[in-house]
Amino acid sequence: MKIKSAYSTQQTVRDAVEDLRQQLAATQPSMILYFASSKFAPEPLSEAMQGAFAGATVFGCTTAGEIAAGKMLKNSIVAMAFTRAAVKNLTLALVEQVNVKTGLKERIGQALDSLAKNSGVPVAALDPHRFVGMILIDGLSLAEENVMECIGDLTNVTFIGGSAGDDLKFSSTHVFANGKAYTNAALLVMLEPAVPFGFIKTQSFKSLGKKLLATEVNEAARTVLQFNGKPAASAYAEAVGVPVATASERFMKNPIGLMLDDEPYVRSPQRIDDSKMVFYCNIKKGMELSVLESTDIINDTRAVVEAKKKEMGGISGIINFHCILRTLDLESHGLLDAYGRLFADIPTVGFSTYGEEYIGHINQTATMLVLGE
Amino acid sequence: MPGKIKAMIEAIVAERSQGSITLISTTRTKLLLKGINISSFTDTSPDDPAVITKLKEIAKELGVTSV
Repeated sequence: MKIKSAYSTQQTVRDAVEDLRQQLAATQPSMILYFASSKFAPEPLSEAMQGAFAGATVFGCTTAGEIAAGKMLKNSIVAMAFTRAAVKNLTLALVEQVNVKTGLKERIGQALDSLAKNSGVPVAALDPHRFVGMILIDGLSLAEENVMECIGDLTNVTFIGGSAGDDLKFSSTHVFANGKAYTNAALLVMLEPAVPFGFIKTQSFKSLGKKLLATEVNEAARTVLQFNGKPAASAYAEAVGVPVATASERFMKNPIGLMLDDEPYVRSPQRIDDSKMVFYCNIKKGMELSVLESTDIINDTRAVVEAKKKEMGGISGIINFHCILRTLDLESHGLLDAYGRLFADIPTVGFSTYGEEYIGHINQTATMLVLGE
Repeated sequence: MPGKIKAMIEAIVAERSQGSITLISTTRTKLLLKGINISSFTDTSPDDPAVITKLKEIAKELGVTSV
């Protein structure tokens, strides 16, 4: 078996890690990817996971809920074991102080150079059909857009991943590597899969054709002051056809998005602050956004997974970076089990994120790295 | 001369993608996320100096030299 996934609902670090070790160690993994509830103390967990799989490269992050094959979980740890038949080579690099913009591009450049070192070519020349990047980043750093933009400037390799969570406490999130836990950091991983690979980006929204032009913003604070020259909250409320006082009730169903060839890149509103709107993602001045309306997450996800399976001739594993807002939406409609069952027959690992990464930073989306057979 | 912005976008995409269909799509997405609403520019779009300046900065960020 090239790829095997497992989960543990044991309640202590020691018991959960031992449970995972018993399920996965026999595969003799060269790489272990894991996602853990923030209920587990981060430093002891990272140290224990590294110790349990001493021969493997072990990394992961904290979550706002976990995903395993057939299951949507809470307060658990999920893990995926990869043998060299699935991933030939991998390298890790850590970028710390990601919320410090000064020198960020240089630091990311150094990290990417170290990831490319073993390949013998500069990172700018790495073949995106041979390599794939993964990013796990502090979900409270507000740095995802800057980090992803720097990565995108410096390499053509696609980076996919998620923003670490902390079970909706919004206190502290961690990434795990080298037996340690890091906050205010991004873990960059360069993978050379031994199997075909592809991506799924699915967000279950359609455009309503109504436009909002960001005419005044505070980009660093992810805040829009004005859309279409009007107070942002008023313009949004008008576009969705409700009073400002109840506009926040429409956030889940009617986020906004940048459109490219009918494909939305979602920006989710977080709250109304006086007449301003705060988002989970930055919006630049001059960006033209479309008002979106939600469609059916279960049917949409089933369709894209089936299509990818057909396109790739089979799937040996999925890593699912799944927005916490989608998880909450599914939960409110009693559909979490139905969503989990979509992945029942596929080795799957994933987590509910505070943001999704795929080329850039996006919201209310599931980004998935799909490994073929 | 109208249409300069569309020409600059095409030049950035062409140099960065080197003809790869995958990279054409990826580069267009990167431009979108950097704030260029690429679908709205045509051969007759006015040469907005602010957008032209922004595209020159973006080209530099992406290591594109032909713009």
